[in-house]
Amino acid sequence: MIRIALLLATLLCFPNLAVTQVVPEPIRPTEATPIGALPPIALPMPASRDDNYWGVRLQIGQRRERGLEDLLAVAGGIDYQVRGGSIFGVTGGYQWRQNCQTPGDCGHSLYGARARFNLITAGPTIAGLLGDDGATSTLGTELGFGYAPDVNLGENACTLDLGVPLSIAMLERLHLVGFVTPGVVWELDCSAGDTRPERSYLLGFGLGLQQLGFRGLDVHVGVQRIFRGATGVQFGVSVSWIRLP
Amino acid sequence: MRSLKRVIVDSAPRFARVGLCALGLVAASACRHQVTLEELPPEQIETTLFLIGDAGEPDPRQVGPPLDSLTAQAAAAPERSIIYFLGDNIYPAGIPQEGAAEWADARRRIEAQVRAIPAGAQGIFVPGNHDWANSGPFGLYAIRLQEQFIASLARGRNIRLLPSNGCPGPVSIDVGRLRLVSLDTQWWLHSFIVRDSVSSCPTNTVGAVTSALREQVRPPGDARIVVVGAHHPLITGGEHGSYCGVTGPFRRFGGRSQDIMSSSNRSMRDSLRSAFRGRPPLMFVAGHDHSLQVLRGGDEVDYLLVSGAGAPSKVSCAVRLRESYYVSARSAGFMRVDIMKGKGVLLRVFRYPGRSTGALVYSRWLEPR
Repeated sequence: MIRIALLLATLLCFPNLAVTQVVPEPIRPTEATPIGALPPIALPMPASRDDNYWGVRLQIGQRRERGLEDLLAVAGGIDYQVRGGSIFGVTGGYQWRQNCQTPGDCGHSLYGARARFNLITAGPTIAGLLGDDGATSTLGTELGFGYAPDVNLGENACTLDLGVPLSIAMLERLHLVGFVTPGVVWELDCSAGDTRPERSYLLGFGLGLQQLGFRGLDVHVGVQRIFRGATGVQFGVSVSWIRLP
Repeated sequence: MRSLKRVIVDSAPRFARVGLCALGLVAASACRHQVTLEELPPEQIETTLFLIGDAGEPDPRQVGPPLDSLTAQAAAAPERSIIYFLGDNIYPAGIPQEGAAEWADARRRIEAQVRAIPAGAQGIFVPGNHDWANSGPFGLYAIRLQEQFIASLARGRNIRLLPSNGCPGPVSIDVGRLRLVSLDTQWWLHSFIVRDSVSSCPTNTVGAVTSALREQVRPPGDARIVVVGAHHPLITGGEHGSYCGVTGPFRRFGGRSQDIMSSSNRSMRDSLRSAFRGRPPLMFVAGHDHSLQVLRGGDEVDYLLVSGAGAPSKVSCAVRLRESYYVSARSAGFMRVDIMKGKGVLLRVFRYPGRSTGALVYSRWLEPR
């Protein structure tokens, strides 16, 4: 386990150097809305079935290696976890073009709504192989809608996404969670421009620490790749807090 | 404003990178909960409470762990040991009617547990849903038969079924600083007859049980360690909490009273919690899910223990909840609570097969020493 963690830490600390292109890429709808602008996050940790829980979330993500301009997004969200399982959330934030090459079009707001359903929350089926019989595996599905106005000189971006996230939480004292979030995004035509609706696949993964210092406080770092064009690699940090009784 | 935005834009990647590195390194250095075997001076231990549940399917060929290990530990000081069986003492359906093919095997199952109580130690069996004829119509009579079986196997020793005669309880026992309050939670959930002309229970209604429980968890003085024991847990990350397996999320729609998410179960747990309000017991101990879980109780009770891994053939999955301090799934085991003279309550969890460091896998001072 420690070897795997060290390997992942090394990969996260020393990402590949940027592959520079000469022409700034337009921001794709998938990059502009929360699904691609913000880092992936693990499925929620289960809690007592007796209550519903409110929570808040802060996310910061940078999409790099996409040409002349990197993208930086900061967002906040409110989540509602139903009876200790599935979670519903709304997100609002802002995305900047770094090294902006198009004056007057260097940033835009972004909004999203997301439902994440914990389909199977089970024991150490996989993690047990690594010797932790208190581990928890969670397989779920998520459905999200994203909207970002005025992305590329007046164009709006709309996306609908569907994912099948998997999380494995391990260790007793320090709750380490590894997660992978494969999904598909449909770029919807919600602008007067000539954006052609397209479908993209994406894959995110990352590590997190649950109950970090306080009950209900989780921190995740995530990496995400969209398998289309020069969309680069997204990585970032998410901090979420669920209010527990 | 513009410069502030510039600062944010420029410095954010650096913070993100630092965050990534820090998290990665912390993760890399993470280690398993280290258990230090704390040798308690025997003369300072007042009472030792062993918690084992759902042990009603012992191996017919041999007495293996965890029962034999529990016996060995209790035999070291039987005069201060209480072995508390947390229900489902006989799988699959308690004691059947005499003449049934399963009768002899049912007797064998309870006999193996009675034999595990060393001479001089006290044994208490709490009824579970399987003891109530697997929640069936013969349940009340199966409980009475089990009580008779235990009495006959005890041969005058201090071993009994509590609450007795199919009554809901609560029944309190005071041993030194310990007040042990036993409940029959299946009485609350049973869909068939729960009393008849020979019941003569001191409490016969949900309101009366709750009221009596409220009184019994409030012993005079502050020094008492109150432990409430029953078969059904207040919180669980196991199958009965609608976790584990593909059917987990859908169990909530089944309305099974044995599951945490059913309305009848919720109603029972709300009543129990209301009785604890204002004077929380130190522990609520239960079985039902076949795992070992130590959970935070909240405002109404300090700790929730699920120790239902008494039968190696029955162990099952459990997940870590936000309330969990410790979880062990798919391993048999039991818990041991040492109540010290004066002050201090130490919980220890033993799991079989053990780790390379031994069977002791978790320990925690529930009351600081």
